[in-house]
Amino acid sequence: MAFEAKSEAGYTIVSMDETRLDASISEPFRLYLFDQIDSGCDQVIIDLASVRFMDSSGLGVLVSALKKMAGQGALKLAAPQPAVEDLFNLTSMDKLFTITPTVAKAIEG
Amino acid sequence: MTDDQGQTLRLEIDSDLANTTLIAMAVRGLCAMTALSPVEVNRVELCVVEIVNNAIEHAYGHEKGHKVEVAAHLAQSALTLTVSDWGKAMVKGKLESASMPVDLDDPALWLDSGRGLPIVQNLMDSVSYHRDGDKNSFVMLKHINS
Repeated sequence: MAFEAKSEAGYTIVSMDETRLDASISEPFRLYLFDQIDSGCDQVIIDLASVRFMDSSGLGVLVSALKKMAGQGALKLAAPQPAVEDLFNLTSMDKLFTITPTVAKAIEG
Repeated sequence: MTDDQGQTLRLEIDSDLANTTLIAMAVRGLCAMTALSPVEVNRVELCVVEIVNNAIEHAYGHEKGHKVEVAAHLAQSALTLTVSDWGKAMVKGKLESASMPVDLDDPALWLDSGRGLPIVQNLMDSVSYHRDGDKNSFVMLKHINS
């Protein structure tokens, strides 16, 4: 599994070389995200463009990262694919997160 | 294996979370034979993954080396998925009490786990759980509108 972070326009953009964000990689992803937050990243965009499938474990990681930020800074989700977007809608997590169709839109505000 | 009311495919994996993809892909393939819409296929995939995850995480406590079986029964009007394990049984009443409340104003209530069962209950047309000897089975049924 491969996660990557880059800086752009004041944001830390986290992406992954994975098509499935599921229970088999949720813990390494959580640790990676928490490391980013602990190292001072408080404007975070998670680029979900590559993720075709997400289960509740993957969703849980995103929620735990949002909780960890404790209202300081911003955590946005960008480019969710249809099945991922459906999961957010089904669980009402679309109300909790700022979700944008592209990373560029997330940067714009 | 076939019978006069449909066909059954039995799949078996070792209790390793990395193996859930195998089940997911096989079930997607089966769904492709049906009139389920792409959205419904995604949702069926999600449900089977959630319940296989539950078996590995809770019945077997993340321990590898145990059997998880998925029986997919495809009939003309319904797809029935039965996920079985031979580990610790689900706590009685857990299925009935599953819910995923959202309180946007209280981060303490933002669950980072525990959404699997309520998701499955919400998406499947019926779910049930039973223990037969040392075998636990979670049964999910999805109607197919042709």
